[in-house]
Amino acid sequence: MTGKQRKQFWNVIQITLILIAAFIMLIPIIWIFLAAFKTHVDVYQLKLFFTPTLENFGTVFDAPYNLGNKLINSTIVAGVTVLFAIPIATCAAYSFSRFRLRFETSMLVMILATQFVPAVVIILPFFVMFRDLGLLDTRLGLIMVNLAIVMPFAIWMIKGFIDGIPLETEEAAMVDGSTRVQVIRNIVLPMAAPGLFTAGIFCFIIAWNEFLFALILTNKDAVTLPIGLALFKAEEGDLWNLLSAAGIIIMLPMFILALIIRKYFVQGMTMGAVR
Amino acid sequence: MRDNKLKYILVLPAIIVVFATAVWPLIESLRLSFTVGRLTKPNFPQGYLGWENYTWAFMEEPAFWNSVEVTVLYTLITVILTTLIALGLAMLLAPGGRLRGGVQTLLILPFAMSPALIGVSFRFMFNPEFGLFDAFFGVVIPPLAEISWLSDPTLAFVVCVMADVWGWIPFLTLVLIGGLASIPQDTIEAAQVDGASSWRVFKDITLPQLVPVLAVVLILKAIFSLKTFDQIYMLTNGGPGTATQTLSHYIYFSGMKYGQIGYSASVAWVMVIPMILLTFLYARYVFQKR
Amino acid sequence: MAQVLLKNITKRWGDFVGVDNQSLAVADKEFLVLLGPSGCGKTTTMRMIAGLEEPTSGEIWIGDHVVNDDLPKDRDVAMVFQNYGLYPHMTIYDNIAYPLKVRGTPKADIKPRVEKAAEQVELTEFLHRKPKALSGGQRQRVALARAIVRTPKVFLMDEPLSNLDAKLRVTMRAELKHLSRQLQITTVYVTHDQIEAMTLADRVAVMEKGVIRQLGTPDEIYNDPSNLFVAGFIGSPAMNLINGSVKDGYFITTGGTRLVKVDGGDRAKVILGVRAEDVDIHESGQGDIDVLVYAYENTGESVMLTLQFGKQRIIAKGDRHLRKDMDDVVGLRVNPDHLYLFDSETEERIRY
Ligand SMILES: Nc1ncnc2c1ncn2[C@@H]1O[C@H](COP(=O)(O)OP(=O)(O)OP(=O)(O)O)[C@@H](O)[C@H]1O
Ligand SMILES: [Mg+2]
Repeated sequence: MTGKQRKQFWNVIQITLILIAAFIMLIPIIWIFLAAFKTHVDVYQLKLFFTPTLENFGTVFDAPYNLGNKLINSTIVAGVTVLFAIPIATCAAYSFSRFRLRFETSMLVMILATQFVPAVVIILPFFVMFRDLGLLDTRLGLIMVNLAIVMPFAIWMIKGFIDGIPLETEEAAMVDGSTRVQVIRNIVLPMAAPGLFTAGIFCFIIAWNEFLFALILTNKDAVTLPIGLALFKAEEGDLWNLLSAAGIIIMLPMFILALIIRKYFVQGMTMGAVR
Repeated sequence: MRDNKLKYILVLPAIIVVFATAVWPLIESLRLSFTVGRLTKPNFPQGYLGWENYTWAFMEEPAFWNSVEVTVLYTLITVILTTLIALGLAMLLAPGGRLRGGVQTLLILPFAMSPALIGVSFRFMFNPEFGLFDAFFGVVIPPLAEISWLSDPTLAFVVCVMADVWGWIPFLTLVLIGGLASIPQDTIEAAQVDGASSWRVFKDITLPQLVPVLAVVLILKAIFSLKTFDQIYMLTNGGPGTATQTLSHYIYFSGMKYGQIGYSASVAWVMVIPMILLTFLYARYVFQKR
Repeated sequence: MAQVLLKNITKRWGDFVGVDNQSLAVADKEFLVLLGPSGCGKTTTMRMIAGLEEPTSGEIWIGDHVVNDDLPKDRDVAMVFQNYGLYPHMTIYDNIAYPLKVRGTPKADIKPRVEKAAEQVELTEFLHRKPKALSGGQRQRVALARAIVRTPKVFLMDEPLSNLDAKLRVTMRAELKHLSRQLQITTVYVTHDQIEAMTLADRVAVMEKGVIRQLGTPDEIYNDPSNLFVAGFIGSPAMNLINGSVKDGYFITTGGTRLVKVDGGDRAKVILGVRAEDVDIHESGQGDIDVLVYAYENTGESVMLTLQFGKQRIIAKGDRHLRKDMDDVVGLRVNPDHLYLFDSETEERIRY
């Protein structure tokens, strides 16, 4: 074989492998999508071809499942978490990016480190405290602990974006007579806006998918969507068609959000470690 | 306002939040682990207990050691498998183009999926009666259809690993693609002209230049493997028996189900220590970069 | 030892044509320079010879067979990359030794050859360092050493001196010239620096927009340009190009000035080319026409005058002792022995 033929041969193998990989990546998602549109009977008969029905999506919002409540809880908890996290993180990120602070490295490492502390460790004291304060099973309590996982992401990510804004623009504005606060409001915030938006979406996804905190801290009123999945365990086994419909309601909005910010997705996740 | 005051005022809220939501609970856990005793012992709660909770875990609880074993094995296997497969996939997808770019975009989907949901979907797929796996492979290899995946301790563990690997490959792949893209193309071309075969280019030029990124990937994945909870909870709930009970799951169970707050805090702290080590390794790589 | 042959090579990306149906024969042991402005397809041509880029159509020969289907590693060429392409994780020694190692050269042979190559580019004392710890010029020489450590069929060098400062560039240019005479290996060298091209080349191929506009010795390229592009591109300062017509044996500018006597018949639209050094400056009244000094520049080794008559400007090179100032009046005479006429439409040279 000549070099070129070998190259073509490899190319065919590569494309085959890529297609197989793509297929494997999609199977579980497709499987859920299919099941969500099947009737109860069809699910248990393993049908690949079936008459699709929207019935499941109606059922999950009815009693006794009331997925609507969970949807509202998830939206409020994730949304409010982001509304708190982003402004606070932006201030800190600006300061870390533009000034030399005492203990700057220590603070940054600490913030980074909290990201890696196992959630089970954090949640025990909160559980005890919330039990005493009556905050168990409230959205407020959930929002407070969610800040713990979202803040480090937000700070590091936004810092990365602000690092990318050229210093000269700011200095020019200062020379022209702006105060620091004006510079932040008129120059930095507009320029960092896409970054803040990206970080916001990112944090929203994390808070939306959060599981352990909600599992421990809620049981009725403040239950979020991922925990809601447990509702579909019945005496006779799991109700897969309903589980799948709920699964779609959980994952579809996140897919859309993730695709909107896909350019920054990886960068955000590694928090500037790999660039 | 002067900058040198403003700069501290700007970081203050963030530092307060991080302290309140992460540092305080960490220290409070430590306090709980030394002060809150067992429910089953008389005169509960009592003041300072010393190492009682820790010795209990180490000396009297085989379940603790079991979960340590499960976690270590789980971490080792998932870290190695995920990294290797992701590296291969990254090499395949890195050249870009329409097909490869499209698949790269697809990879974002599993990553935006909640781990709990991944657990659910794998439980569904490996259901012995009507899971996809049986439907698919049962036809090709009939004996496979007979297997009841999640009731066998080993196979249940295998399914957990599969779910984890499936969920993490996309992210690691995307990171590694980023790493590959940062390798100067002309070093690779220089090696080709110098006479190196594809394999030697990979071994001599690509891989060594990828080491920093690979290290970050390994450490990150190890950290996240060590704390796995959501998937396991939804997929096997630690079972059958305690065959897939990770440390996080064990802590959750002893703390929440059995109310042994002090005890589970002490186990949690046992788990924090390797985390701190890994985090510092990670931080070193992050800060070395600047 | 090998010749390089390009037969009707075209490279296209989508609709964009990088190299347009070009043929080129590089003789054995020849030093051929590809010269042209940025983006004209020099690198693309070279990368196709190396096998890093696949031609859309056409044949590439190295020695006596077609190499279109050969991978870079099988073409037995050595290449110096524009940005060096050094292996950052290897020492200088390992960098230079790499082409030998991958080709299975016995260990005992490698060391002396690496040391010899390092000596030729004066790098011996840096062998244990990593590329990061070297200056630009030193890295440049590592890239060179990595190429000369083997005896390939062809050397390919892509602007190997472009990242150096002016002084180092001159030194390295001389070193390169010396090396190439010594090694006697077919070389294709890419640059957009014409001094490099003129000093190093046996022959120069001047490229524009994917097309070789002229192929010839440095002498031919400079003194006998075959079209407007080559005439305007080669030489510093650039050749004066003046629009006008030929009537009754004289060149008349569009402004109506009768500038200089030219042979050949009448022509309506032509462009006259004249180099700055062929424009003579005299005291006012002693030239063919009197003109105004628009700008006077002293470069040390000579002086440059920008002269204006009507709307036309013309650059003249004068003796380094000549002293003039803005708005002075001087006499101008264009040397009739070194003139070039070009057709305004086709931009081809009009020979008479
Ligand atoms: N992979 C590619 N895809 C599309 N266009 C390309 C590609 N590579 C090069 N080109 C285009 O082909 C043209 C020729 O590029 P080439 O690199 O050969 O220029 P060059 O003569 O080496 O210029 P320079 O002196 O700046 O290095 C350029 O216009 C460039 O934009
Ligand atoms: Mg080039």
